Amino acid sequence: MSDRLDDLERRIDELRAGVRTAMRARDGARARVLRAELRGAERAWDALVSGERPVKEEPPRLVTVREQVHQGLRLLGAAAQPRLIVAVSAAFFGGTISSSRLTSLRRDEERSFRSSPFGRPYYLCAALTDRLSPARGLLTLSAWPLERRVVGPLSPRVDFLTCAIAVAEQETGDERADRLLVRMARNIPGAADGTLGPPHRGRVIEAARAELRVHADRDTRDRAELAQRAVAQLDDAARLFGAATLGTIKKEYAT
Amino acid sequence: MSLLTSLARLRALDEGIAQPIATVRHCHLADRPMVFIPLKLSGEAAAPLAAMLGADRDRPRLLVVAQPRNRDLRFAWAAELAGVLLPYVEGFLRDTETVERRNADPYERAIDAPQILVPNRAGVAFVRLLGRSMRFRRADGPYPVPESVPLLGRWLTYFAERAAYPGSSLMPAMTEELGRHWASGQSGLEDANLAALLAWITTGPSDDAEDPLIWPPAGPATDPGFDAEVLAPAMESGSAERVTEALRTQLEPSWRLMWQAIDLLAGLEEGAGVASRWEQDRGSFSGMAAHVAEGAPPQPRRDGAVAAAARLARMERAQAAYDAQRAYDDPLVMAEHRLTGEAFAGEVVDTDPGNTEGEGRSRKLRPLVVIKTDDPVRLSPGTSLGTPQRRAQGAELVSAGEGLVTVKITKGMGRGRTAAPGAVPEIGERVCYTSLTDDFQGSPALPDAEATPWTHGGPPREYVPDDEDAQEEWS
Amino acid sequence: MNPQHRLDVLRGVTPPRPHDARAIAALAANPGCARRALMDGAGVDKDAAARHLGFPAPFGQSPFAITRGNVFEALVKADGCAELLRMLRELLGLPVAEVAYHDVENVGAHLRHAHTRTLIDRAARDEHDAGTLYDHPLLSLEIAGHTAYLEPDVVAFQLGGRFHIVEIKSFAVIDGQADPSAVAAAARQAAVYVLALRTLLEELGHDPLKVSHDVVLVCPENFANRPVASLVDVRRQLAVLRRQLTRMSALDRLLEGLPDDLTFDLRPDDDGRPTRPVAELADALRRTTARYAPDCLSTCDMCFFCRDEARQEGASDLLGRQVRDELGGVASVAEALGLADGTRDPAAGQEEIARLLRNAERLRKECLT
Ligand code: SF4
Repeated sequence: MSDRLDDLERRIDELRAGVRTAMRARDGARARVLRAELRGAERAWDALVSGERPVKEEPPRLVTVREQVHQGLRLLGAAAQPRLIVAVSAAFFGGTISSSRLTSLRRDEERSFRSSPFGRPYYLCAALTDRLSPARGLLTLSAWPLERRVVGPLSPRVDFLTCAIAVAEQETGDERADRLLVRMARNIPGAADGTLGPPHRGRVIEAARAELRVHADRDTRDRAELAQRAVAQLDDAARLFGAATLGTIKKEYAT
Repeated sequence: MSLLTSLARLRALDEGIAQPIATVRHCHLADRPMVFIPLKLSGEAAAPLAAMLGADRDRPRLLVVAQPRNRDLRFAWAAELAGVLLPYVEGFLRDTETVERRNADPYERAIDAPQILVPNRAGVAFVRLLGRSMRFRRADGPYPVPESVPLLGRWLTYFAERAAYPGSSLMPAMTEELGRHWASGQSGLEDANLAALLAWITTGPSDDAEDPLIWPPAGPATDPGFDAEVLAPAMESGSAERVTEALRTQLEPSWRLMWQAIDLLAGLEEGAGVASRWEQDRGSFSGMAAHVAEGAPPQPRRDGAVAAAARLARMERAQAAYDAQRAYDDPLVMAEHRLTGEAFAGEVVDTDPGNTEGEGRSRKLRPLVVIKTDDPVRLSPGTSLGTPQRRAQGAELVSAGEGLVTVKITKGMGRGRTAAPGAVPEIGERVCYTSLTDDFQGSPALPDAEATPWTHGGPPREYVPDDEDAQEEWS
Repeated sequence: MNPQHRLDVLRGVTPPRPHDARAIAALAANPGCARRALMDGAGVDKDAAARHLGFPAPFGQSPFAITRGNVFEALVKADGCAELLRMLRELLGLPVAEVAYHDVENVGAHLRHAHTRTLIDRAARDEHDAGTLYDHPLLSLEIAGHTAYLEPDVVAFQLGGRFHIVEIKSFAVIDGQADPSAVAAAARQAAVYVLALRTLLEELGHDPLKVSHDVVLVCPENFANRPVASLVDVRRQLAVLRRQLTRMSALDRLLEGLPDDLTFDLRPDDDGRPTRPVAELADALRRTTARYAPDCLSTCDMCFFCRDEARQEGASDLLGRQVRDELGGVASVAEALGLADGTRDPAAGQEEIARLLRNAERLRKECLT
């Protein structure tokens, strides 16, 4: 067996060198061919050395990714980025999602909605920009009123503060929850008390509310206006998933 | 760089092989040096990726972090590293000698000290960061780490700091040490590549040295092509063996180069001042060990103003002493000073060994020596001089001109009416005199730490590491 | 023939290589080099040229470093730039009410530049709903007749009525200290953005000095991922950059004396593969004067080619500026060695260096034999 391993190692070295030489000469085609061979050889080596191929174990998932995101968003109560949703899900629901799994989620939801509109009790959907296009990297829930799902210039901040309040309102002793709160509190004036321990939850809520009051009027106005426009201009699907921008329309025509 | 070195570089370029710029070795080489080649993960400040290390050239240890973004694995690596380095370091504390001091209590000094060799200056910088990232950790409280980790952090910090001390050999950077003894025909920038510099010294320049497929960089940075094509897929596969084997291919070539470089340096005869500088290293090392044993806190994040000034002054003095010692030990280094006119050498053409000054009881023997030299002397009458040939003597320049220099011996002649045999150079002897002296001035008067002027931030608070230090995530 | 046309001839049918901020910042790295000025001025893809010549540039970025950079940037901008707002409030006293965030990228890619203009114009007019943070803006700068598009990380406004360029970098600041070369590179790059934004304001009829020369540099602090901001004054980098850009728009002088039909064209075939005979391209390049220095190894794609040329010429530049300075203008290795061993007589003005070299040679001989 070790003979074969030696052979494989030699072959792997050759292939690696080949790939890197090709990469340096920017010869993408050749690099791809060699790389494919290399992967094959590496797999063979792995198999030989460990007796079998290593399999990454996945923890059993009882709650679907979709449901975990739903839980997270319900708790937060405002448009949020996948990162934050993942952190909330881990801190309060023992969630196991990673943000990379959320990238295709919105598209799947949209597809499902378009094939049978309102066929599900809820959809994970987009936040809408001031152009009514889907905002990059923000998730919302279909059950929310449109005002909550559109974002004006102040909304990212308002939503962040809203989320911080929601997190601070949770009672848990979980270390991950504390860490999340520390991270959020740090960015709200007056919320952190300068010590290193978990911040006082009441204090965080109060500080966030105080800053919210500064932005609330204008943000509510902006959002109401946007929501009105969305109602007037968009069909059901677009209200949930955003109007296609010129760029995306073009792309869709092309395919 | 001096013109002499520049000329050597030109010669190297012309002849296709590095040229010596030293005739003796100016660094200490331990009987049992520890070679340490650390690698870091690209893009991170101090995330270790691997290290190859050991004191036995046939049996390098390879320590690998199979998933460098995993904090626990990184600290496990740090603990493993401590498991190799700490016993090596502490092994030197067993045998000590008692050193008497004039105005202080005697202290215990280790008879020998550890020597950790890293490939280049970037390696030293990485050791410093590793030390910084470990020394404030705690074995208790939140984010606990193995007990050996903070201790290793303090030692790594110590070694990296000591590496900046002129003339110290506790943690030499190999390319720097080689560059002090040989001039290659490439730029200083390119000399930082260990493979390239060694090629210049041994076989002549080779383009292979710059091909990361043939000679992977000696760290701490890895080759980006290797990261993309080999390391990233290996990590993704989740197979620790594959990551380990991949990193072994990057470290083994440098491991061989390091030992080759050690052999090269060992081939040079040791300079006369090396032992005394190593003695200082031993003293410093023993001091650090005592510090640790007494339970003193880890080195602060930053020096206070007085400590920083004192450190700077110490370094300057050490640099002056190191420069002077090397010149006294090595005619080729002295030649640099001869070129600039601060030293001269030549043949003794006339002497007056019985010359005296003063009358009666204060009459003193002040022999005169006339030297014929080709060197451009730029020293004025009255300048005090020393000479490598008779280190205990002091002399003074009387006059210089037309290739003849008259020197008066002013120190080290004893009380006798006549000079002891051999004390005054004979006609025909070759001698060298220089205004460089090894006895530098004492420490400048710096205020005590408590008396730091307010302009410099007031007295430093005694550094007490707080919880934040311990909790700091590790990238 | 006008200079712009001559530059087009220099580049030939190879598509121009658009400059990014890093490339523009690097323009100032070796201002004395005519070869580089001409290649950059003509928009020649130096990387492709070097590869075709058989001297591929030794640059590359590790995927780990790229990922790390992206992750850190995302962290700084997460949750409506919460971290960035905290830092701007602490560092520059940004009022609490100033939180309006505009993601310029919300419009299609082709509209981004126009949208940036509109938003910046509105802000500069100080209309009441002027934003505070502009994410993913797209600026432009004319480089020797070509438009380069530039993407600063963030532009911040409403700090005392001025615009600040925010530059997010993932190298760490440890105990208040960062790698000086990394900071210098970031400052050079940020200066390019400052210049581009100032140009934009000027075009819009506003005071260009509304763009601060203090840029906000955001880096991770110590070993945690926690971002920390500091102000970096880029006035010096701006001055160097301006000078180099002016020089590049005055390339006529460099073009003088070069044949009209000189070209660095790679003559790509339909697949974009260069077909120009290598020797021919090398010859064309050698018609222009380079000024190789070891620093080129980290700043210019052509470095291995130019180093090879310097080696063939036996230029003392190979050994670095220090050696060059030490030699007081003796440019060739053979000449310097000839002066040292006395086989060559010093030219006028070389007497002093010749004397030193001869002395040095005598001393080395004496010590080594
Ligand atoms: S590498 Fe060549 S072209 Fe580039 S700056 Fe240096 S000398 Fe000029």
